[in-house]
Amino acid sequence: MLQPKTMTRLLIVGSKEQMSSAVTELYRHHVFHITDYTDQGAEGYEGFRIGQPMAGATELSTNLISIRSIENTFDISPDAYIGIPKRHSASIREIIERDLSRIESEVSDLTAKRSGAEAQIRIYEQRIAELTPFLSIPLELGLYRGYESISVIAGKTSRDIEIPVPCEKFFAAGKGGGVLVLFFRNQDKTEVDAVLSETPFQQISIPEEEGSVRQRLDYYQSEISRLNATIADCDALLEEIKEKNGTFLAACDEALSAEVEQAEVPLRFATTDLVFVADGWVPSEEIEGLKSGLSQATGGRILVMEVDEKEEEEEHAPPVEYENPKFAKPTEAIVDIYSRPRYDELDPTLMISIIFPLFFGIILGDIAYGGILLVLALALRRMLVGDTVQRLLAVLRNASISAIFFGIVYAEAFGAHPGAIDIHLWEPIISRHLLIGSHAYYQADITVLLVFAVWFGILQMTLGRAMSVVNHYRHQHMSHVAGQIGWIALMWGVLFIIWSIAALPLMPDLTGLPAIAMGLNIAGIAGAVLVVLGLIGIARESPLELIEIPSIISHSLSYTRLAAVGLSSVAIAMVVNFIAIEMLIEPQLGELTVLGIVFVIFGILVLLLGHLLNTALGLLGGGLQSLRLQYVEFFTKFYKGGGEIYRPFGKKRELTED
Amino acid sequence: MVDLGTAVLTLEMVEASQEGMKALAAALAVGITGLASGWAESSIGSAAVGATAENKDVFGMALLLTVIPETIVIFGLVVSLLILF
Repeated sequence: MLQPKTMTRLLIVGSKEQMSSAVTELYRHHVFHITDYTDQGAEGYEGFRIGQPMAGATELSTNLISIRSIENTFDISPDAYIGIPKRHSASIREIIERDLSRIESEVSDLTAKRSGAEAQIRIYEQRIAELTPFLSIPLELGLYRGYESISVIAGKTSRDIEIPVPCEKFFAAGKGGGVLVLFFRNQDKTEVDAVLSETPFQQISIPEEEGSVRQRLDYYQSEISRLNATIADCDALLEEIKEKNGTFLAACDEALSAEVEQAEVPLRFATTDLVFVADGWVPSEEIEGLKSGLSQATGGRILVMEVDEKEEEEEHAPPVEYENPKFAKPTEAIVDIYSRPRYDELDPTLMISIIFPLFFGIILGDIAYGGILLVLALALRRMLVGDTVQRLLAVLRNASISAIFFGIVYAEAFGAHPGAIDIHLWEPIISRHLLIGSHAYYQADITVLLVFAVWFGILQMTLGRAMSVVNHYRHQHMSHVAGQIGWIALMWGVLFIIWSIAALPLMPDLTGLPAIAMGLNIAGIAGAVLVVLGLIGIARESPLELIEIPSIISHSLSYTRLAAVGLSSVAIAMVVNFIAIEMLIEPQLGELTVLGIVFVIFGILVLLLGHLLNTALGLLGGGLQSLRLQYVEFFTKFYKGGGEIYRPFGKKRELTED
Repeated sequence: MVDLGTAVLTLEMVEASQEGMKALAAALAVGITGLASGWAESSIGSAAVGATAENKDVFGMALLLTVIPETIVIFGLVVSLLILF
């Protein structure tokens, strides 16, 4: 909690003969995060080289590429097959040897045939396009060429053109412009060209074919339909192969990927001719299991050393794996979008997992919209696959529940108070209803809402600074600790001064205390002292930080978006209700006419579309604004991020087993 | 002769006019800050998309930078809410 998993650095040293069994064991445990060995002559690594892939790696890779290319053709991914009965890897290896090349050649034959047919169709379509203009000219195609003293020219033109030299002319008017064909003597070419260049004449090429245009067109059409049938046949055959071999291919992919990964892992080790050294990190709780597994697999002929990381330099920072309670797990996706925490700083996931849904609820705060989003999140969780998507949907689910909760607090459904239709179940604890339309029930106290939002800002920013204090304290950066405490003191000092001067709703009213000096009362003076101490603390950290002081105000006010964005969503909802119900539907209900029914239907459409739009806006507004408050106002106070993601060597087998 | 120089301004008219002015002021507060945010975000946004296309790990940072100016319009919205209510 608030802390990544503790990692221990392990050095695994063994002779080359043990490497294969050690690698298999490491892959099976799926806990060892390998630090890649780079050949830079590091101290103590003289004479070591980057390892060579194990025997058979090339063949395995070739097979894997074949399988991936077939999968690509079929547009299948192994993830889609998760949940089918697992296969034995030995049986898979057997099938690969026996069937893979046959399936590959079948598939490549079919795809080649298919793309050949597609190319041919394109050629024929081009021919058809070239021939069509000549359809209306009563000449056989053979008559267009083969003359010695006669030239032929054809083109598209909108009108008939007068040619001042002796010639044979065919013109056919058509919808998209007419077609003109001219036969003239060779010596008249210049004159003809001159005449044509002054008119909108667009020359087209004459097809080099024989016979009547109609016949040729019919021939090409029939060829195209024949080729289309061929393509359909190929598709059906491919689909059949996919049906028959899909699960096998997915299982092959997994098995081969595992083998390739194992065969190539020596590229990340340091090796000499006789030994190998694997350097990496393991979560401390997994060490014992891994150690005993390795010594069993190699008959004890391998050395596993735990390295005390404090002796090592900074560059060997441990990889970071979250350690959070179950309900906070999905929120890790949100923190990862920003950046993985570093190993030596506090992990804010737990806090975000509470604060993000809270803020989302405060912004959206509507029973109906929250309900719609909850149903949406639950439905999409069933339909979509993928780890990140699932996590984000789980976050959305929590956020929707929070929105429903705040909907009850605000007594709000589709932006309306239930009192608008004479349902008085409960009174809103905080109201944000507006006076729009005659059913309007409450007028929200906007100032109270804004101050309510600012309180969250004050608390969250204090929390952020406090976490920064902890982070800096751990590194013994005492001037930064003083600076961060200074920021907290400054902010609360300013608050005390404000409270001593003005009475604000939802805030302590300290104006009644007796004045002591310079018109300030005891709270004001305490505030002033805090401000001065805060300034000293900040200036000690870095005088340049002092120019950031206005951010106290701007960041606190930034939290007013919790109220403001929510209010704008309420306003949209109420306007939609007003237009649809009061302006379109209600006036018609008294006396229904045909036109009235049209109005009612239109009103229902406006109602549906308006609320659909507002749900989408609420999701965007609530999600992004709430996220932004975490990223900009909260994280910038303490969070650096940039930790290396923990990627253990190995993979969880979903489709195969040994 | 009709005296066009003077018009009678009743209290109701003054109040209505004030209401109108408040609505106008609120509209200006949201409208102008909205334009400003949009202007600022457009250039940041296009740069952010470019950076994300180069390296998708910077998406979080890019999103963060893009949404920074939208505080301007939130302030405008808050001010207009305070004017109206």
